[in-house]
Formats: sequence, C-alpha cells, structure tokens
Amino acid sequence: MRVIEVKNLTFSYDGKHNVLEDVSFSVDRGDFLGIVGPNGAGKSTLLKLILGFLKPKSGEIYLFGKRLEEFKDWKKVGYVPQRLSVEHAFPGTVKELLNSACEDKKEMDYLIEFLRLKSIVNKQFTKLSGGQQQRVLLALALSYNPQLILLDEPTVGLDVHAINHFMSILLDLNINHKKSIVMISHDIGTLLKHASKILCLNKRVCYFGKPEGAVEYIEEVFGLRGFLHGVS
Amino acid sequence: MEFLSYDFVQRGLIAGILISVSTAITGVFLILRRYAFLGAGLSHAAFGGIALSFLLGTDVYVTTIIFTVLVANLVQFLTQTKKVPGDTAIAVIFSSGMALAVTILGIVRGFGENLFSYLFGNILMVTKEELFYSFGVFLITISFVVVFYKKLLLTTFSEEVAKVKGVNISLLNYSFVTLTALVVVASIKAVGVILASSLVVIPAMSGIILANSFLGSLVISSVVSILSVVLGIYVSFNYDIPPSGSVVGIAILLFLASFLLRKLPLK
Repeated sequence: MRVIEVKNLTFSYDGKHNVLEDVSFSVDRGDFLGIVGPNGAGKSTLLKLILGFLKPKSGEIYLFGKRLEEFKDWKKVGYVPQRLSVEHAFPGTVKELLNSACEDKKEMDYLIEFLRLKSIVNKQFTKLSGGQQQRVLLALALSYNPQLILLDEPTVGLDVHAINHFMSILLDLNINHKKSIVMISHDIGTLLKHASKILCLNKRVCYFGKPEGAVEYIEEVFGLRGFLHGVS
Repeated sequence: MEFLSYDFVQRGLIAGILISVSTAITGVFLILRRYAFLGAGLSHAAFGGIALSFLLGTDVYVTTIIFTVLVANLVQFLTQTKKVPGDTAIAVIFSSGMALAVTILGIVRGFGENLFSYLFGNILMVTKEELFYSFGVFLITISFVVVFYKKLLLTTFSEEVAKVKGVNISLLNYSFVTLTALVVVASIKAVGVILASSLVVIPAMSGIILANSFLGSLVISSVVSILSVVLGIYVSFNYDIPPSGSVVGIAILLFLASFLLRKLPLK
C-alpha cells in the first residue's frame, strides 16, 4: 500500500526562488525512508508540505491514496517536530500532555509502558532532558496508533546512548509494528544502517532508492568523497 | 468586616471575583502562547469602542463588545496570514483604539469626563447589568475551557503537533481571541482601560510560576486573582484608595511573593 506519493513538487517561500524543484518519490507501507541533504536543501520544508503546513507552488502530494487537499484522516499520521519552541515557563506535565493527545486512558497507559515513561510521567515537560523530551514527543506522535510517522531531526542534541535508545524504539515500531517511518537526519551513518530507502535531497532529488546505492550520491552532495566508504 | 455589609461592596466583590477568575484563566493561555500583550492591545482598542458608543449614542457595553471582538478577530486574521507578526498587529490596534478615542474627544466635546472614567474603572460602582455581564463572561470562559481543555492544552504546547492530531487550529484561535475580547471588556469595569491587562497577565504569571502542572497553574492563577481583587477592594474601602490601583498593587505584591517563593528550594 502506498502511504505517501509526491509528484513533481515545487515550492518557493517568496514566489521567486525555489526551495524545492520537481521532487518526486514514494513511501510504501512498512518503509523506513531516511531523508538526507545539506542545510537549506529543503528537507524540513518537504515534511511541512506533506503535513499541509505549507502549500506547494506546483505538483501533487497523496497521503494514503488521497490528494492532500482531500485528506482528512490525520489520525493515521504522527509527527515529531524538529525543535519545539515551547515557552520555557510551560508548566504542563508529561501525563497532562499525553492525556490531551491520547484517545483514552488505555492508550495513554500503553504508551507510558511502551516508551518507558513511568518514571517521568508526573514531571514537567520543560524540566526533562533532551532524550526524555524526544520520547515524550514520540509518544504524542504515536497517539491514535498512526500508520505513518514523520520525524524531523529527532536525535539532534542527544548523546550516543539516547540516540541508540531512540533508534531502537523506531526500529521496533518499523519492524514489529509495521509503521511507515520518514525521518530527516544529519546522522547519515545511522540512516544508511537502518533505513530501507534513502532520499538524498539538495533542492532536487539527487538519489532515491536503497541505501546501498546512496553512498556515492551523498558523498557528492556533502563533498565527502571516500568518507562514507563501508558505512552502509 | 463591616465593609461587607454595603450593597455596592457586595456587588463589587461578586463582579470582581467573577472577572478575576475569567482573566486569570485566559491569561495563562495568553502568556504561554506568547500573546500576553493582547490584553493590553484589546483594552486600549476597547477604549476606541467606548468613545464610538458615546459618539453614536448607542449602548456602551454592546458597542464596546462588538468593536473589541471585531478588533480581536482582525488581530488573529493579520497574524494568521503570517505577513504581520503578532506583536506588531497588537501594537497597531493598541494605538488605533487610542487614536480613535482621542479623535472623537476632539470632534465632540462635552463627554470627556465620562469617557475618562473608563480609563481607570471602579469595581465599587458596578451596576446590575455589569454584574450580569461579568457572570455571563465567567460562564462562557469556564464552559469554553472545560469543553476544549485538551485541544487548548495541546495547541498551547505546540500548534504543529496539535494540527497533526486533527485540531482545527484556526477555529480554536479565532474562538479564543473572541473570548479574550469579552474578558477584557469585563475587566475594564474592574480596573479600567489602562490597567485591564494587569489583571489578565499578573495573577496568571504568578500561577504559572508556582504551579507544578498545567491544571495547577489555572487553579493557582484564579486563587491569586481572587485574592488580588478581594484584598484590593478591602484596602480601597478602608484606606480610601482608588480600587483599580489597590487591586493591581496587591496583584503585583502577590506576583513578587510568588517569584521569591519560587526562588526558594521548595518546589
């Protein structure tokens, strides 16, 4: 089943300079798509277009077979944003946030158990560490049991232990729960290792396909010739 | 407790308590959405609405409510287009309201004194109609927050996350600024145009500082706000101080106390 289909997508913030040009790719059920590209390549913009936060200049986006303009079943989609600009005084606890996002108490309890949030459930979100905050954001994204999870650089600022833990959860969701995952990351090594497809973006699509064939294109885009040899 | 035996004090206290809970609750959401200045913007815009009602000879409350609600929705519209930053839109309506009032005062002379009475308000001179309006605003505020609590909390946390969860952000925001406009008009009677935003922002900030949860911040803000009004009226009555000044003065003292308490290693 096709979960995302993007056809000839072009976008510009000012109407003059295109941030994305003629981008086409697709994500099937159970895929783990890793999106890589240098800063300013349009990765986060692409995710915002898929989520309907921005309107494309031209091209089409389909979610679960429906044109984005007609797509209403947002409960099928989970989203973990890049950097959350939460007011630092925000007093809400993890439990309150989960309660506001979850369908019922049963789902909330399941997510607390699944993401090992029990020890922090009564703590305020703004008082948590980066890794703990990311797990809470993932829990919010997982409410209503979505089939597709979009993540925008979720491991930025985390230590190696937190990254490994976070990735193990994502892989569990992808392999054992058949969730489709689309993840933007600068951690190319991790994506090459775990993703089933790679989209290398630099305003246009430089590469879209299996990780094995991606190295050469990524090296070229990032100017890292020979650097990623043997990573995938 | 002799002051409680007077009718006008009882009316003022009831109206003040109803208004203070409404302002505290809306204030918490406004601060956490970085929209704290909206209260000041709308109260000054409302002054233009009050002047307009004097000019047209229409009911002050009805005209001011309609005018302020329209202005609040205009701010939301301008902000939502992403062409005008929120604080700039508020600054524009802030000065526009005052400019309208000053212009009307210049054109039609004679009701300057009446108009200026709205600048500082007087909770001890609240009429029965104003008491009913305060009660109506209180009921609307509580109902709105209870019905949309989960959506409001999630949207306050992150509009993007809430949108993906299916929350109609646009409708919720327009509804919320409309509620804020109604609350601000009510608070003008308590503390006047100039100090109306104080009642929206100061007790709410005290609650946010002291609370360990979102719900806690709403409850503590309301308690601090009620205390500000009750103690403010008591001080005003006993020491012959204008009530708007004493109410806001007590709110500021409670805010400073909250801040100091937060600094102590108790939380």
